[in-house]
Amino acid sequence: MMLLLAFFLSFVGLALLALAMERHWRQLRATRPLTSTAARSLRFAGSVALASSLALCLSVDHASMASLVWVMTLAVSAFVLAMLLAWRPGWLAPLISWSR
Amino acid sequence: MNSSAATVAPRRLVVTLSRIAAAVLGGYVFVWGLVALSISGLAAFGMDYDQAWMLAMLLAFLVYLVVFIWAFAARRLGLVWLVLLCGGAAMTMGAQLLVSD
Amino acid sequence: MYQTFRQSMTWLHTWFGLVLGFVLIVVFFFGALSVFDREIDRWAQPATRFAPQPMPSFDHLLRPVFERITEPDPDAVELARSMVDGPLPEKYPVMDWSAYTTHRDPVLDTYVSFDVPNARNPDDHVHGHQTIDPRTGAQLSASDLKIGSEFFYPLHYSLHLEWMELGYWIVGFAALSMLAALVSGVVIHRKIFRELFTFRPQKQRQRVTLDLHNLTGVVALPFHFFFAFTGLVIFAGIYFPVSETQLRPLVEAHEQAEAAATGLPHDPAGVAAPLASVDAMVSDARRRWASRGMGGDVGFLFVNHVGDANGYVSIYRAGTDRIALTGQGIHYQASTGALIREDPPETAIASVNEFLTGLHLQHFRHWLLRFLYLFGGLAGCVCIATGFLFFVEKRKQQHARDGVAGARIVDALAIATITGTLIAALSMLVANRLLPEHLADRDEWQRNVFWMTWLASGVHAFWRSGFTQEGGAAPAWREQTLLVAVLAVAAPILNWLTTGDHLLATLETRYWPVAGIDLFLLATGVTASLIAHRLRRPALAHAHLATMKP
Repeated sequence: MMLLLAFFLSFVGLALLALAMERHWRQLRATRPLTSTAARSLRFAGSVALASSLALCLSVDHASMASLVWVMTLAVSAFVLAMLLAWRPGWLAPLISWSR
Repeated sequence: MNSSAATVAPRRLVVTLSRIAAAVLGGYVFVWGLVALSISGLAAFGMDYDQAWMLAMLLAFLVYLVVFIWAFAARRLGLVWLVLLCGGAAMTMGAQLLVSD
Repeated sequence: MYQTFRQSMTWLHTWFGLVLGFVLIVVFFFGALSVFDREIDRWAQPATRFAPQPMPSFDHLLRPVFERITEPDPDAVELARSMVDGPLPEKYPVMDWSAYTTHRDPVLDTYVSFDVPNARNPDDHVHGHQTIDPRTGAQLSASDLKIGSEFFYPLHYSLHLEWMELGYWIVGFAALSMLAALVSGVVIHRKIFRELFTFRPQKQRQRVTLDLHNLTGVVALPFHFFFAFTGLVIFAGIYFPVSETQLRPLVEAHEQAEAAATGLPHDPAGVAAPLASVDAMVSDARRRWASRGMGGDVGFLFVNHVGDANGYVSIYRAGTDRIALTGQGIHYQASTGALIREDPPETAIASVNEFLTGLHLQHFRHWLLRFLYLFGGLAGCVCIATGFLFFVEKRKQQHARDGVAGARIVDALAIATITGTLIAALSMLVANRLLPEHLADRDEWQRNVFWMTWLASGVHAFWRSGFTQEGGAAPAWREQTLLVAVLAVAAPILNWLTTGDHLLATLETRYWPVAGIDLFLLATGVTASLIAHRLRRPALAHAHLATMKP
């Protein structure tokens, strides 16, 4: 369903943005430093995911509702992300599997 | 919080209460004046009353928030009281003049 | 306090957050429950557990219902007492009839407004109302309390303190303080972007509490801000009653002008007239909406100036598919059914206003968004609760040393407003199932159970928080959490025993209102049990004390 996909993309988008931050990158890659290229790529990918999420929300509902749905998916995703980073950061490893 | 001289604590309490009063009551007077003047002013310029009312109420609480914060952040409490009370009174009187036409 | 901007904002956030927080957590909690108010109603009123119904036929079903309501409700008559300067009137002339329904309502609320002849303010009026089964027109008993929409929901915006609208003012002041707390919170956060996703449960208790406070505050910051702000806008007429006071002359001129421009008479003519077929008007209205690409159901039906030549019928579309509550009003002359006016599209200002009030009042059909709202509301509760806990943790050692009761008082109040609130709400649901079906004033009994259990929880909280005064952990937390667990599990069991609608049955028939509430209750019970289990370490709390530096 479109909205579930939108929700998933919100989560992935925020996760990518989080991993572009030094402190969260280090949770997964303790030894490798976060290069500015990697950070920029992560932020770009994250933004694209968030934008796609918004587009999906808009495709399903009236614009007034879609914007609210999107903002709230960000809220829930951010919370879930924080919980994952606290207890199971390893689950986010696939998102940066391209960096060796 | 350790209190120093016995005279300091009551003075601090008065100042604190004055800040709160300025933010809450002074803020209320100011926003009332702003709302009344905005609505009567816009109506005098031909705007529909209900439209003017809605617009004023949307702005009212944002302005209230701003003056509320300012009342606590401002260095000179006297200035806050002056602006909020006199400003509020002036705007309310302005509205009254417009209504009386 | 006032040396720097940050310091003044810290003071503001701490003290306004703390004091008004006790009101706000109640507002947020019952606000969150109100997202599912009608579902809670179904749980509390087994007789109404059927599918939502569209607005029924006016001519055949609603008109007889309205004609039955010839007097205001008893509590409305009490209200009239404060409106007149002498004896109460003998008769109250009927002014308007109205009916409102949403896509979630199996039952329909019908309202009649009555003029108060001797009132000081000629605009004052009172109401009579009935809740009916729209399939048959049968009236539901007034003592059958709608726990969701008639108790939890009004509690969240008025604290059920109707005298002089005091409750509305307290909630409004709390909302303004909340906005100030959000702004000051952002100012004092310092690392709001860097710590956006930061939660470190392995750290010291104070740090964990603060992390969670920041997290729940920031991730749902737009939600918290907009709900406080739109709540204030919704009741703006109460907080700044300019239209009833200073600007009254402008209002009167406007109303006359508007009545002339729209053709909708403001006052009755005083000449009797019949009522034409409203069903025909409804069909016409629906046809007109469909031709504008906005096919929909009737949300709100209003008969103005009942029985008068100036009477008109207003039909509004239910805002199921958009944020606005109702809209696209179409008005017909009551005596003939002739079209008077189709409301034009909204102005920009009105659209913004409708969007803001609509997003708060949520009459739209969007289940995902409702659940997301529930998350926002609960996040707000956690934010406020962790605020209390942080306040207590930060000060209790010092207060214990100084022999000051501050931390203990705050802790007790926190218990009363966190677990105490849960106990009161759950007790009310349990009482709803245990009280005899045909008990007179059954609704009053349920309300009393709520207030009494809340009061008892508060007393218990103060009694059993002595440890906090010594710098430890209050046993009241664990004791009340256990009670929450027991009540939360008892409620669905009682639902099963008294109505036969057990969870497996409701899941099978997909009757989500009751299944959903039962599931939430069980989830609450399980969560509370787990928390009570984790709180089972008083010995550790004391050991922790012993290792603290003096």
